[in-house]
Amino acid sequence: MSKRLSILMFLLAILVATPFRGYAEGGDGHAEEENLDVKEIIFEHLGDGYGWEVPFAHAYRIPLPVIVKAEDGKWFCFSSSSLTKVVEHDGKMHAEPVVKTISRDGKDYSFVIAHISSHKNKVVQLFNLNAAQTDSVMKVASDIKAQGPVKGGWPVIDGYVFVDGKYYREYRPLDISITKNVAALFISTAIVLIIVMSLVRFYRRRGLKAPRKGMGFMELLVSFVYEGTIKATLGENAKKFAPYLLTCFFFILIMNLLGLIVIFPGGANLTGNIAITLVLAVMTFIMTNVFGTKHYWKEIFWPDVPLWLKCPLPIMQFIEIFGMFTKPAALCVRLFANMMGGHMIVITLTLLIFIFAVFGSAVAGATTVVSILFSLFMLALDVLVSFIQAYVFTTLSTIFIGMAIERGDHAHAKEHAGTEEGEEAMKAAEAQKELLAKEAAAIDLKQ
Amino acid sequence: MELFTPDFGLVFWMFIAFILLFLVLAKWGWPVIIKSMESRANTIDQGVEDARKAKEQLDNARNEAKKYVEEAQAKQAEMLREAAKMKTEIIEQAKHEASEAARREMEAAKLSIEQARKEAELQFRNEVGKFSIDIAEKMVRNQMKSDDAQKQLVDKLLDEIEKN
Repeated sequence: MSKRLSILMFLLAILVATPFRGYAEGGDGHAEEENLDVKEIIFEHLGDGYGWEVPFAHAYRIPLPVIVKAEDGKWFCFSSSSLTKVVEHDGKMHAEPVVKTISRDGKDYSFVIAHISSHKNKVVQLFNLNAAQTDSVMKVASDIKAQGPVKGGWPVIDGYVFVDGKYYREYRPLDISITKNVAALFISTAIVLIIVMSLVRFYRRRGLKAPRKGMGFMELLVSFVYEGTIKATLGENAKKFAPYLLTCFFFILIMNLLGLIVIFPGGANLTGNIAITLVLAVMTFIMTNVFGTKHYWKEIFWPDVPLWLKCPLPIMQFIEIFGMFTKPAALCVRLFANMMGGHMIVITLTLLIFIFAVFGSAVAGATTVVSILFSLFMLALDVLVSFIQAYVFTTLSTIFIGMAIERGDHAHAKEHAGTEEGEEAMKAAEAQKELLAKEAAAIDLKQ
Repeated sequence: MELFTPDFGLVFWMFIAFILLFLVLAKWGWPVIIKSMESRANTIDQGVEDARKAKEQLDNARNEAKKYVEEAQAKQAEMLREAAKMKTEIIEQAKHEASEAARREMEAAKLSIEQARKEAELQFRNEVGKFSIDIAEKMVRNQMKSDDAQKQLVDKLLDEIEKN
């Protein structure tokens, strides 16, 4: 077994090292290519884009629709392929930005994907400057340039974009384009829908038969989340909140896993994007507060603490209201940071190969092996993290909802304090509260 | 930082996608799955319970059958014993009756024999009387053949009457 493994490793090392050596030698002549902009590459991979990269052809993109609202309130929809053109540069293909001009009602609307601008990699609307404006902008630019070398040749000036040797006034339109992330979002939605509906169809057709293989695994996940978390925490309210929580779990899980696939239809860093996790957290926030009981609101505005903590100065109220928002905020940041971190580590490990390329073939070869092994390990870990994070999000949402819909047995018990029954009920409530807190702490520790 | 500012377009589409997905799944997806899973679990539980009950019933039936068999066997033994008892009783009774009958017969026989004897005795006595009368007659006849004797006798008798 170990012998076979070592042979495999050796083959792997050769395989990854060989094409790379060719690249290193071919790229020797270009100083530009050796000075990798690591940050740029990482952010490009983590961020969004107007097209979707075709596997193994970096310059080519699958065109996606761009939907923008121009400054004067007109909506425009065009293909993202008209915003880039592929040019050959030193024997390699590059995607270059192109200005897309649309005439409507006798007026020209120009859009471009900004590069030297404060709205980097976003579609902006261009407006020509008159001579005086151009002069003043150019003066500012040359002043900045005089202070030292600027990345990309021209400095970024707020409110202006530099395209094809000229500064233009820029306007960032309202942008609801179907970007790479949005497309991946739709694909994830479709996959979740297909998976769940196929399970539903199975039940409709086969009645009480137990599903096998893939469907059986799906059912296992559903019952793992439903029986293990939702029902255990919410009790008789489980059925009411199960649709939301299960949708959350599967949506996050599918988005996480899809993000780990390098090529289309994966590769979009969806759950590592704060917009996605923000919406999810807001949903949980809404669910928690809409279904919050009288007891929940009482705990916020008039908690069971000594009077001086809440009466003249609303200290506790302030803390509780703050807590209302920090809970979903923690959900949002936890998922985002975990997933983005995972992606970032894998990309960085891969980039190490190219960073070490300057030290020659031997070093590069060794780095390749190590990097690939670490990347593999990280990707495997990310599969686990994908699942854990989806589960953690669901579990914490369940706990938050569980705390919000608590009927206040605790307070009720206090009224009966002194009688044995009341004391017992109070103890039970305390124990339950502790258990919930412990569960939450354990989940936090896991990360 | 670009990474930490949520993009409006993505938020917008995410909201729509999530709400739609949630509505569709909440209406047609999860309730069906949860219901099916629960009803299957219930069915399995019910099945287990039914099997347990069936086994119990089977055991009960078996026990009952055994009980019946045992009862029947006991009854049979009882009956046999009773029959044996009855048999001996009957025999006993028969014997008794027979001996009684025999005794009665014997008594009857004795009685008839007695009667016969008495009759015979009576007859014998009568015969004997007759004989003795006959003999006496004959003897008297013999003695009274002479007229003297007859006169003597008459005298004697007359004497006797006179004495009185």
